[in-house]
Amino acid sequence: MSTTGYDATGVTLKATAYGVVAFLVLGNLVPFLFILSVSFMPPSEFFTDPHLVPYEPTLEAWTSGFEELRGNLVNSFLIGAGTALLALAITIPGAYAFARKEFYGKTAGFYAIISAMMFPYILLVIPIMDLWTALGVYNTIFGMILAYQVFVTPFSIWILRDFFENLPTDIEEAAQVYGCTQFTAFVRVILPLAAPGIVAVGFLAFLTGWNDFLFANLLTTGTGPVPAVPVLYGTIGGGSGERVYWGKLMAETLIIGTPPTIIYLVARNYLESAFSV
Amino acid sequence: MSREPMKQTEDTSSDTQPKRSEASSGNQNAVDASVSGNRIRLDGVRKTFNEGSVVACDDVNIEIDEGEFVVLVGPSGCGKTTTLRCIAGLEEPDRGSITVDGEDITGLKSKDRNLAFVFQSIALFPHMSVRKNIRFGLDMNTDLSSEEKRRRVEDVAETLGLSEALDRKPSALSGGQQQRVSLGRAMVMEPAAFLLDEPFSALDANLRDHMRVEVKKIQRELHTAMIFVTHDQEEAMTLGDKIVVMNNGYVQQIGTPYEIYNEPANRFVAGFIGSPSPNLVECTVERTADGIALASDFYTIPATETQAERLESLVGETVIYGIRPEYLDLQIDRGAFVADLDVVEPLGDRDAVHLSAGGTDLSAVTPQGEIARDTDRVHVDIQTEEAWLFEEDGTRIV
Repeated sequence: MSTTGYDATGVTLKATAYGVVAFLVLGNLVPFLFILSVSFMPPSEFFTDPHLVPYEPTLEAWTSGFEELRGNLVNSFLIGAGTALLALAITIPGAYAFARKEFYGKTAGFYAIISAMMFPYILLVIPIMDLWTALGVYNTIFGMILAYQVFVTPFSIWILRDFFENLPTDIEEAAQVYGCTQFTAFVRVILPLAAPGIVAVGFLAFLTGWNDFLFANLLTTGTGPVPAVPVLYGTIGGGSGERVYWGKLMAETLIIGTPPTIIYLVARNYLESAFSV
Repeated sequence: MSREPMKQTEDTSSDTQPKRSEASSGNQNAVDASVSGNRIRLDGVRKTFNEGSVVACDDVNIEIDEGEFVVLVGPSGCGKTTTLRCIAGLEEPDRGSITVDGEDITGLKSKDRNLAFVFQSIALFPHMSVRKNIRFGLDMNTDLSSEEKRRRVEDVAETLGLSEALDRKPSALSGGQQQRVSLGRAMVMEPAAFLLDEPFSALDANLRDHMRVEVKKIQRELHTAMIFVTHDQEEAMTLGDKIVVMNNGYVQQIGTPYEIYNEPANRFVAGFIGSPSPNLVECTVERTADGIALASDFYTIPATETQAERLESLVGETVIYGIRPEYLDLQIDRGAFVADLDVVEPLGDRDAVHLSAGGTDLSAVTPQGEIARDTDRVHVDIQTEEAWLFEEDGTRIV
């Protein structure tokens, strides 16, 4: 297309492509800019005419928002990290078994696990609350971590199984010929090669634990380890119809969004190779 | 007949051959190769897949002497790779045993066998540098000092011309270099034997010839047994001290390249080895005024005295007459029978001449340019004393 110079079709196609891209980018960017702008406005300003650059910028929303969220962010982090670690501990061996081992009911078992993803999670809330209370993990960080495995493990097993399946068996056998047991071959050769998949799965699991609202709200009480997201719901007034401090809400949204963004940037190279297969 | 080279006895296993005493000093859990030569022996090895429904190889008996270059050759699916994988411990045979110097290694893990395997797919560890790839086995399986490991890796890299590439990743190397790294990874272990599974099939023809010579040289220098799997009969002939021809999971013949070429044990071996392929013609054994003869669609071939003796009892039956293309003499003016010339295929110093006579395709080999390409008909003589005779089921008669 680029070599043809000024042909009309080429130019139109290109213009359309850029137009679509610009529309999508603006669709994301404009709300984001408003969030950013409102988070620096004092309450007197965001109830007046909409404008992008604050007249009297203030950090008030950010400091009070951060103050309110501090403990909850720690909870969120523990829950997200715990969800990711537990999910990896369960799904790495699980996915490897589905990829490489032969056992009775392998196919049926795999689809049973995948079909768990189709189940509407909200229906699980009641039984999980009941069960967690009985087990004594209701309103604990561990209880949350455990509950998220219901969503996280199926897709993790799915992604990792494909990853392990695509690694050549020869490499594993080479490791075994040159001194590894099946287990050390796995650790020395398979795990490093599957790193992109493992990072991707860990990241998605962390995001699930970090961003979830439903279980976070229902499996904790005000006195328990409430993660950050339900606090946003409090800031918005909990649906009570009271006046909403939009500045603080926006600042809190951005605060909550920052850690996953940083993790994404750090893990970006891995993630890209994981999803480009 | 096919078991001919199996005559060695077990008694050499107690001989002391101190050549390799240093080689396995760090290999405390590997089969101790320092006491005697490395004689590998397969006894009645059978391996099946899918719960016995697919027999990959059966009743495989091979003996490999120290320093011997053995080539397993056969068409794809003949069980040669499975046999090699059984030796390496990558497959567990259903039956039979594999011994190294009388010590049974059949149940050992592959890491404890002191055998090095070179994969068809090369199978380097992509996340490690060349140096780490070569060192891998030493790191995992020995407790040599790091100085000693470094020395061995650098020696091997030197031999293989990889010194410059040691700190690169395998993906930065060419196919030939990668296969060299994979050889280096094997050599550095100083194993009892090298097992190579079609190691050059991923390389282009020139490089393949070059690597063949290199491998043969290395094998001569190290004087370590090498078991080489290939489907290419030419590669087998050029490399092997001993060739094991396999088909359908069974060993068809074991012998030197000359034995295999000159005296095939059965029709399969005759047809598989040699290029262009030998002529294999169905004939009926007949008694004529001059003695026994073999009647084919195009010519009645007189039997030689030795052939006649064995054919006496087979009069009236169908046999397969086998003759290599080089034993058909082509002349323009006179000969035993006449054939139409289809194609002349130049092979370099020789030409392959494809003929048809009475509906049967034949091929002959002549010196370059002896038969002009536009010739229509030629006269053919058969050097009958060079022919083989097989029963209809392929068993060699004479």
